[in-house]
Amino acid sequence: MAAKGFFWSTLTEPLIRQNPVTLQILGICSALAVTTSLDTALTMAASLTVVLVLSAFFVSLIRRHIPDSIRLIVQIIIVASLVIVIDQLLQAYLFDISKRLSVFVGLITTNCIVLGRTESFSRSNPPVRSMVDALGNGLGYSMVLTVIGSIRELFGKGSLLGFDVLPTVDQGGWYTPLALMLLAPSAFFLLGGLVWAIRSLNPEQAEALEHVPPEKKESRA
Amino acid sequence: MIRGLWDRETVALMVLAAMLPLAAMWLQVEGVDAAFKLVFFLVFAGIWHLLFMLVRAQPPSFAGAVTALAIAILAPEELGVVHLLLGVSFGVVMAELVFGGWGRNVLNPATVTLAFLGFGFPAAPWPDLIAQIGWAAIPAALIGLLTGVFAGRVMVGALAVFGIAHLMGVDLSGVYPAIAVVFVLLVLDPVTSAATRTGRLLYGALFAALVVLFLIEWHGAAPIQISAAAALLASLAAPLLDEIAIASWLAQRRRHLG
Repeated sequence: MAAKGFFWSTLTEPLIRQNPVTLQILGICSALAVTTSLDTALTMAASLTVVLVLSAFFVSLIRRHIPDSIRLIVQIIIVASLVIVIDQLLQAYLFDISKRLSVFVGLITTNCIVLGRTESFSRSNPPVRSMVDALGNGLGYSMVLTVIGSIRELFGKGSLLGFDVLPTVDQGGWYTPLALMLLAPSAFFLLGGLVWAIRSLNPEQAEALEHVPPEKKESRA
Repeated sequence: MIRGLWDRETVALMVLAAMLPLAAMWLQVEGVDAAFKLVFFLVFAGIWHLLFMLVRAQPPSFAGAVTALAIAILAPEELGVVHLLLGVSFGVVMAELVFGGWGRNVLNPATVTLAFLGFGFPAAPWPDLIAQIGWAAIPAALIGLLTGVFAGRVMVGALAVFGIAHLMGVDLSGVYPAIAVVFVLLVLDPVTSAATRTGRLLYGALFAALVVLFLIEWHGAAPIQISAAAALLASLAAPLLDEIAIASWLAQRRRHLG
């Protein structure tokens, strides 16, 4: 029973409370780059989750045999091999999306979430636990990508996954697309707004103030 | 520093007073529609100020009225209520209120709103300002200068560069109203302009130089778009200009005093 509770909390903690993107601000470069439409965001999220879970498994499996001094090299080799497999699979079966994701699938190798989880968790936990933890983090990342990708595609193009939801003015509808949503800054605004919303609901995530404003003196009556 | 009469709201009221000639001239030229637009922006900027007062205990500021006026005069036309609402909310909240209210913001909320609307809806046409409104900017600048809320050095820096550009043959006559109105409404804002003496000269000069550059190189852009983009970049650079001014002052001191 205790083990089940442990797995459950390992899986659900990274969804919101320990979300790798919104709390730890890891992996945001890819999160911002691939979210102009929902299909690329979902593909990217799935690829990253698969790479994360598999690399957690392999690293955890040989964790007692990796010499400490070269552990990063070994981890990166494992991750990079998996990324190459995923990249080839995408190019074989989802060529169009693979072209639009361009370099970002390859860059999963350098994604901070992947190396962060293998380094901090898989290296010192048995395979199943590591995979559950990796899956939780992958899902947390996927959630953020899905939310930002949906908002950007919905308001930037008026569609979701290519289907028209808000008929745009060009096609005789009423919705004027917000072109800003397709530009990179909007992803920063949305992610910032998301972090703000989560931290307002969950104040324990907020960081301590760097500067404390001076006490305000009573103005003269 | 709070001394006697001069607190934040006095400055905000003085800025507002300086804007009055501009606002009066604009309302007279544009008529009832303009008045409705102004009321719309005043109400929504006010609602955001009120919300932040209730939720985060930030005192609201009369500067919100200046923001509303600037947006009403300069915002692109033919946009729906929802679009304008989105723009004004983004500018007022993200550029001003989340930083802790007027006086702590890095960028002018009206500038950010214009940038948001300009990038968000590139097809919307920018308003045409007629010459009278441009001339009304001069008394506005003078009132601000006399009450001490606008920096004369910013004006000197900008005028110097515009003068040089004029002598070099750049035609400024057609875009003069837009430049003057943007200069008074956005660039001279005491919070987001540079704060050191040299920094202010550089800041005004940078704004003018950017406007001239855009006039020559940015084809197909409206005068207001050019001026607002220059204002945005100049106020982004303002802290850097202050930093440069302070660093050069320190270096000078070290040379003199050893």
